[in-house]
Amino acid sequence: MRIRVAISMVLVLTLVLAACGGGGREEAAVESGDTAATGAPDATTTSDGAVEGELSVMFSWTGSEQEAFEAVLAGFEEANPDVTLERVQIPFGELNAQLTQQFAAGSGPDVTVVLPGLIRLFAAQEFLMPLDDLWAQWLEDGAYTESLQAIASVEGTPYGVWFKGNVNGLVWYTPERFADLGVEPPTTWEDFITVLDTMKEAGEEPFAVGGSDLWPLTQWWDPVLAEVAGPDVFNGLVDGSVSWDDPAVVEAFEVLGDLIANYYPADTLDRGFVEATCARVDGAAQLQLQGAFVNLVARGECDDSLVPGEDYAFFPIPQYDDSTPAVQTISGDLFAVNANTANPAAASALAEYLGSADAQAIWAEQGGFVAPNTQVPSDVYPDVNDQQAAELWPADPSVAALYDLDDFIGGEIQTVLREALQQFVRDQDVDAIVNTMVDVDTRIRG
Amino acid sequence: MTDTTERSDRTLPAEGVGGDGDGRRLAYLFISPLLVAFVLFYLWPALNTLVGSLFRWSLLSPWNIARPDTWDFVGVQNYVDTLTSGRFWNAVVNTLIWLVVFPVMVTVMSMLVSILIWQVPRGGALFRTAFILPMTISLAAAGVIWTFMYDPDFGVLTRFVEWAGLGFAVDWGPLTFQTADWLSNPGVIDLGFTQIRFVNLSLIVAGFWAFTGFGVITFTAGLTAVPDELVEAAKVDGARTGQMIRHILIPQLRGPMTIVATISVIFALRTFDVVWVITQGGPAQDSEVLAVLLWKQAFVFLDSPQAGLATAVAIIMSVVLIGGAWPYLRGMTRVAR
Repeated sequence: MRIRVAISMVLVLTLVLAACGGGGREEAAVESGDTAATGAPDATTTSDGAVEGELSVMFSWTGSEQEAFEAVLAGFEEANPDVTLERVQIPFGELNAQLTQQFAAGSGPDVTVVLPGLIRLFAAQEFLMPLDDLWAQWLEDGAYTESLQAIASVEGTPYGVWFKGNVNGLVWYTPERFADLGVEPPTTWEDFITVLDTMKEAGEEPFAVGGSDLWPLTQWWDPVLAEVAGPDVFNGLVDGSVSWDDPAVVEAFEVLGDLIANYYPADTLDRGFVEATCARVDGAAQLQLQGAFVNLVARGECDDSLVPGEDYAFFPIPQYDDSTPAVQTISGDLFAVNANTANPAAASALAEYLGSADAQAIWAEQGGFVAPNTQVPSDVYPDVNDQQAAELWPADPSVAALYDLDDFIGGEIQTVLREALQQFVRDQDVDAIVNTMVDVDTRIRG
Repeated sequence: MTDTTERSDRTLPAEGVGGDGDGRRLAYLFISPLLVAFVLFYLWPALNTLVGSLFRWSLLSPWNIARPDTWDFVGVQNYVDTLTSGRFWNAVVNTLIWLVVFPVMVTVMSMLVSILIWQVPRGGALFRTAFILPMTISLAAAGVIWTFMYDPDFGVLTRFVEWAGLGFAVDWGPLTFQTADWLSNPGVIDLGFTQIRFVNLSLIVAGFWAFTGFGVITFTAGLTAVPDELVEAAKVDGARTGQMIRHILIPQLRGPMTIVATISVIFALRTFDVVWVITQGGPAQDSEVLAVLLWKQAFVFLDSPQAGLATAVAIIMSVVLIGGAWPYLRGMTRVAR
């Protein structure tokens, strides 16, 4: 009896552990990284220099965005008829985990969409192909700035190409309601607070947030941090050289805490991004601090009769302090090339294409897209909101381009920051959120 | 009857399988394919997990038993780090809420439902189907359904509370509760050293809805085994319904009760799907259970080598699971004897 129970226990334990276990990874995962160097570009390049062969490309867009990206890929196929593209679509929420497992197993796609945080992790494992030549040419042509290159680089070596840009820190509003309230888009922080108070006095809900989706809260944290603490502190948090208890960071949390306490809706954590967007469109809230992509989402998800610029528009979040340098928070999607691709020539060609003005203009024409390549003409954008957002893209080297902080850091710090911001919405406890972040971010302590 | 006995005599040795040398070899031969599959696909990964919990590694810097250069042996440090982590104990508290509430809810409710259906003279199958139907969909789909149910704008539950005038909020010292914000802030009991957050109950209800069909099936099977003469005798003796349930049915259902309770404990301990789909462990870490923490450590916290920590959590969960499954295993071996 006891023996049988013991055997049963061992079997159950074994089954459970087998279910939980990841096991060791194949050698290919860690021994790879030099295939690009040993790869044979000639084998996938025809005598006239054109590329050929099969190529897998992974992305995470769906719906109308996927259709737009398909149109971009069609442009590549048209220019390179001997290349067969295999499209792999992965839901955004699963992208990092899927890519990690696939690259670690040595079976990653040839070209993949990727955020800077993952670029840093993958580059450290030598999973990605360096793209120095491409970037040297782009910088020379003025297609990109050095701060954009830095975002796509790890320790000075570029591993990513920009494809889809986005401008953050935009306060979306309805011009007609502003007229009813007798307010104008504010240009200073004081005016901003005055507008918010006017809305409250009129019985209106100032903001729609969408905090149940976690990431919309970081859309608040980034511009507030950038405006209050400045670009050096912002980038210091990104690279781990500035601690979360730095006085400038603490002040930024205090400013955000005041905004939450005074102007956030009570149901912030009950609603997601789309619900918040539609709440603003419907008039349940007056403002939404978000990215340029709201231009597409408001029409696509809430009301397809909206006219950009007339029915909804945006103003950049005002400068908190006139003495701080000009900053622009941005985000966006980059592409990277697998260092172990069997077709490095075609993969590099696709990366070069995706970073080009020609490719980005295809999507820009369809809307909901800010082209990171500065050579995409502004008249390709289909409406005034997209045009104005594109004008805010930090094409001018004097404007610091600050990439979405948590996406840039990635990993556990990103997850904990998002969760801590949700808790911050509930308690506005500056000490607690600072301590939480100091505990989890051990980089500065080594 | 005679034929059956004769067939049994031809195929089985008198003392059972494996009773003599040839029979034992034959038995091993028959089970060897299964044994090979078990060793390759269960035992080896399990041992890998167990040993992996003693190393520092991640998906990007994997530990490989065949490659000593990948070994970063840390001994029991992963267990020490896990057991001293506030995040782990937060997940333990949330998992404990599941472990206490979910099995009780499933066992009691499904038994009551089964008895009620058993007593219905007609249409019992219809009622049983209604309770069993949710079992036919995946837990992830159940999570999506309950996300809609709890929606603050158009959710059925929210609308029902409004329609029935059941909306209220309670703030009694350490207890706060409201019939709203089901997934963001339905309430909490602040015990000082920890908090019991009611968002976990919202998730447990979703899990209960998806799982209770199993209990109904099991108890219904148990009820069919209750001897008719026992029930008839009780009726003749004038037993009321309550007495019948208490003195006749519940004692007869002890076996199914053990099975349902044990399987519910196992379900509660390893619950992931419903939590992940509905809240992903949030808001903040309010509903993060051990399985979600394990998943995050392995697949979300990619920048730091935490797969060893994840495997340590898996081992700890397994040990607890064995403890929870103990009554069931004892029952099974008793049946086998």
